[in-house]
Amino acid sequence: MHKTIQETLKLGWVVIVILAIMTAAEYIVAVVIDDTAILFTLLLIVGLAKAWLIIQYFMHFGQLWEHVSDAWYGMLSDDPEADREED
Amino acid sequence: MTNHVPHHVNHRFDALTINRLGLWLFLVSDASFFIALLSSRFFVVGTSTPEHVDQVLGLSLTILLLLSSLTAYRAEAAAEHGDLPNAKKMLLATIGMGIIFVFGVGYEWYEAFKHFPPSTGFGTVLFTLTGVHVTHVVTGVLTLGFVYFRIRKSKTIGDNQWAVEGAVKWWHFVDVAWVFIYPTLYLIK
Repeated sequence: MHKTIQETLKLGWVVIVILAIMTAAEYIVAVVIDDTAILFTLLLIVGLAKAWLIIQYFMHFGQLWEHVSDAWYGMLSDDPEADREED
Repeated sequence: MTNHVPHHVNHRFDALTINRLGLWLFLVSDASFFIALLSSRFFVVGTSTPEHVDQVLGLSLTILLLLSSLTAYRAEAAAEHGDLPNAKKMLLATIGMGIIFVFGVGYEWYEAFKHFPPSTGFGTVLFTLTGVHVTHVVTGVLTLGFVYFRIRKSKTIGDNQWAVEGAVKWWHFVDVAWVFIYPTLYLIK
């Protein structure tokens, strides 16, 4: 189902606010924590979460699976007769 | 003239499917390049970060790039919903922030030459990572600029929807790369 422009823009604001909070958390964690292993782990987790938000919501990662399945079934049904029947 | 599609053409392989799949494949291969560069930081200098690294600049560049991702997202959304004036405005805002980002990295380099030149371990890592990344930013700005010039006099998005979407996806990828570069260069200690 297609979203309205207002819903789409609202989603953008929600994502950017979460990203801003995570960036602030990242900075604070780096200032407060001295243990390298713990800091590395936390920064990696926050980084992966931020990347996931951008990839999922800004880059519309979900669309990709529709195209992968389209391409996959496209290859499987590469039969002109079958296509003609579908049409 | 009728627009005849031959029956042997498989309709599941439309242009948009091929464009999107192709771009994602390219982004994944480019991401592997960044992963290799990011890991090189730990091989070359371990987790040590010089105290002269400009934390305020690093955080400002991060905020700027995140904000530019929002304007890019809004440009794509506006174009998709036929709001071309807003799409153009948001594209210009994204391009503007991209240019400021490039100047920010230029300033970072100016400072870096004083404290950790490329001959030092950290300098090697910093100049390589930010250099490769800023090249991506420049190509992103050029691509967004190209798309802007394609649609600047149009009244409808027409055939340019994919151009907007592709350029914006590329811009988000540049942002994702920075999401990992920022803690790797500035925050780890």
